[in-house]
Amino acid sequence: MTNPELISFDSLLENGRSLLESQIIEAQTPEPGRLDLVIGPSDLPQAVQTLVDNHWGYLAAITGLDRPESSEVEALYHFCSGPAVLTLRVRVPYAEPALPTICGVIPSATLYEREFMEMFGVQVTGTPDPQRLFLPDDWPEGVYPLRKSFNPQEKVPQVKPKANGDNAGRYIVPIGPQHPALKEPGHFEFTVNGEIVTGASVRLGYVHRGIEKACEERTWTQAMYLLERVCGICSNSHAYAYVLGVEKLAQVEAPERAQAIRELVAGLERIHSHLLWLGVAAHEAGFDTLFMYSWRDRETVMDLLERLTGNRVNYSANLIGGVKFDVDDEQRRTILAGLDYLEERCRHYLDVVSTDAAFLQRTRGVGTMTREQAELLGVVGPTARASGVDRDIRVEAPYGSYRRFPVSIVIEHAGDLEAKFVVRVKEMLVSISTLRALLDNLPPGELVARVPRRIPAGETISRVEAPRGELFYFIKSSGGDKPERVKVRTPSICNFGSVIHTAVGHQFADMPMLLAGIDPCFSCNDRMIVVRKK
Amino acid sequence: MNAFLSAAALLFFPGGLSLLVSGLAYEWADRKLLARMQNRLGPRWFQPLADVVKLLSKEEIVPYGANRLIFNLLPVAALAGPLTAALYVPLFGLPPMYSFQGDLIVVIYLLSLLTICTGLAGANMASRFSVLGATRTLTQVFAYEAPFLLALLGPAIAAGSWEIRSIQAFAETRWLLLTQPLGFLVALIGLMGKLELPPFDAPEAETEIVAGALTEYSGRGLALFRLGKGVEMVVGLTLIAAFFLGGVGNLPGFLLKTLVLLLVLVTLQAVLTRFRIDQVVRGWRWGALLALLQILVMIIWG
Amino acid sequence: MKIGTMLGDVTTSLFRRPVTRRYPFERRPAPARLRGRLIWNPEKCTGCQLCCRDCPSNAIELIIIDRASKQFLMHYHIDRCTFCAQCVHSCRFNCLGMSNEDWELAALSRDDFSVFYGNESLRQQYLDGLSREGSAAAEAERAAD
Repeated sequence: MTNPELISFDSLLENGRSLLESQIIEAQTPEPGRLDLVIGPSDLPQAVQTLVDNHWGYLAAITGLDRPESSEVEALYHFCSGPAVLTLRVRVPYAEPALPTICGVIPSATLYEREFMEMFGVQVTGTPDPQRLFLPDDWPEGVYPLRKSFNPQEKVPQVKPKANGDNAGRYIVPIGPQHPALKEPGHFEFTVNGEIVTGASVRLGYVHRGIEKACEERTWTQAMYLLERVCGICSNSHAYAYVLGVEKLAQVEAPERAQAIRELVAGLERIHSHLLWLGVAAHEAGFDTLFMYSWRDRETVMDLLERLTGNRVNYSANLIGGVKFDVDDEQRRTILAGLDYLEERCRHYLDVVSTDAAFLQRTRGVGTMTREQAELLGVVGPTARASGVDRDIRVEAPYGSYRRFPVSIVIEHAGDLEAKFVVRVKEMLVSISTLRALLDNLPPGELVARVPRRIPAGETISRVEAPRGELFYFIKSSGGDKPERVKVRTPSICNFGSVIHTAVGHQFADMPMLLAGIDPCFSCNDRMIVVRKK
Repeated sequence: MNAFLSAAALLFFPGGLSLLVSGLAYEWADRKLLARMQNRLGPRWFQPLADVVKLLSKEEIVPYGANRLIFNLLPVAALAGPLTAALYVPLFGLPPMYSFQGDLIVVIYLLSLLTICTGLAGANMASRFSVLGATRTLTQVFAYEAPFLLALLGPAIAAGSWEIRSIQAFAETRWLLLTQPLGFLVALIGLMGKLELPPFDAPEAETEIVAGALTEYSGRGLALFRLGKGVEMVVGLTLIAAFFLGGVGNLPGFLLKTLVLLLVLVTLQAVLTRFRIDQVVRGWRWGALLALLQILVMIIWG
Repeated sequence: MKIGTMLGDVTTSLFRRPVTRRYPFERRPAPARLRGRLIWNPEKCTGCQLCCRDCPSNAIELIIIDRASKQFLMHYHIDRCTFCAQCVHSCRFNCLGMSNEDWELAALSRDDFSVFYGNESLRQQYLDGLSREGSAAAEAERAAD
């Protein structure tokens, strides 16, 4: 039986392959929907240019792999178009670790390149900003954490940091690392002229915990719990993406009932995350009443999740191969009642964010990002959908039970903060209706399928729609009981670039709102105010 | 004997200590009402007192780059302004302690002393947030000061006097709220701007500039600024109640009228989003226009 | 465009009880599935140690007194436990569960977080043995100085 999806991504991949025919050294299809093309480092910018000129997808992530057995570092450039993923693989030897930049073609790649440089020790020549991204300034040169030669148990010496760039003549107001506007630390420097912002830069890594490296030292099961704790509000999405990937590698499919329950928890988590965001964004605008009410209603969804999973945050719902618990009739009824209440409140909030005059003064026309800009900057999630870009993994590349219980995509075209608010509130309403349909038609079946302790060797890519956007996981197994490499590319890192870009020209008072508009999750993203004496 | 009574009046009742206590009480009422409107519990009655006691017991740090003398004197001046203004205002149902022709203007200037001291305090520091906050504070002063004065001028013209005592006597005969509704509105909103209550709290926007001009203050200085704000709230509410709500001749009347005004203020706080500073300035052009219109109407219709 | 869209909420809240839960004066009962403290039933334990291997934070240690007669003790570190319940699902004999009553686990010292489960007399013997070892080691150190 031909699968209509298979046809569509096959043709997409064929298209991609023919575009790059001249540069391919080797081509592989590791799993349905993926095409890996090995090319030489010098061909890289041209290949990327070809893909961009032909509007073939968008750059999703740059993964690094350390290959000590051949003394090489491999860089994987993942391009996604709908359900198809085309990966350009480039190898550079330890002896000559240099790659050309692709920022000339895709400016948003700068953050990925910065991360790749500092973690693997490869020089990306021509990259516009070679500053460190996650590692602190007192980390010594020459120590590359994600290379296999790095031993996490050894203590890394601290070195004296280099003096930072020259800021003469610029009036910089920092937001972060500690600031009431930020729920987590991150360093944004805004250069202002009076109240108008004229420049911006970002420095992250304040809650970097080395989770990707830590996964390599733990068994598959243990790694799942570690990844769940990458973030508090999208913790289930991380676990979901991971178990989907591991199940693909083990070639086991979780039972239908388990998949439906996973979708249930994911949907409830989305509602929770968006309500939290609504409150925080309202607080940034100074509308504390909306903050208090949306967080009061968030308690409803947290209580539902506690009743269902046993905890309000970090639901720990997934097992490799299924889920831990079942949904019985009483649970169903409680959840449906809770959803009714939430729907009524969400409709009210939709009314508030789209008609309240004082609130609209702070959100309408602020932080506008056109569709072209959004595509150029590589944003994902509700941030992109508010600018008219129809990118939603649940719709483009449905996973789990999203084929059976689909969601409709929510798009706005204005691209300003008001659109971002409206998109997220409408997404909550869509989630509620999807969950109702799901609860009325829960498929019968087992809760968990047996998965061996040693996962067969292979590489897989798992993409999931977290509340903030596309969550991209690259998992590699070498046949053992521990993962060889887990790469986590969270949606927030794609969206930070858009803040820096749209900040210029706005009032300083809009900065916290712009930051809130992308729903930043620094914890997801990361695995100082210095007054200089003049 | 007279001097002793005056001193007692100045230090304890109705000025001085009782004023500070009532400032704390009104701050509590403001926070409690706001909390109940947001469906939450709110602080217990002694919270503002506890805050002040805590602040007074903390170490005061003078930041690098600030003039020490100015740093220490400004909070004192900020508290002194409203306390002095209270001498000319009918508090707690009693007539004003002192009175002379033109004391209305003096009171309005003294009330703005608090805001100006806040602005100067921010400008004194090298911290980014303080300087931005100071700029915003002073911008906001220019925005609402003129309309506020014009709005309070309405009752003065109607009463034909610059003396608060006489204006109040006139206001007791009829409710000026009914004959000068625009003036009342401008005065009330002007008071919100003066006290930097949301939605006019851009100068101390917590999520943008940490605490605005007062970011680097802690301990005694901050306690004095907060007490000053509480006193200013009481004095401002009294003035508006006395002029527009038919005078505050007796204690129950005073309490009822000022608390009703507070309720209106708190409702506006709860329901509106913070305005950006440029939006505040733009908005106040309308405020000034309305106040002028009111006065015009008054002059033409007598 | 409307002004004060939340006015309705605000005015009704003035006449309603606040939603704040007055913990610790008022405690709501916890839901049945709450993942609180770990509970171990030694009756069915076979000593396979799957739970210990799967624990992401090494919070469980199984102490084997005598494998043949199934005499085990469990050393549970409350401070390391992440309450994920993986061990509950790893155990094939349903020996483990998570309490829904015991979730207020704050303590004033680290020692309170180190808990031993098992047969009472076995536990006492083991703990006595530990403390004897401890004092013997301390004495040996002192003798060496």
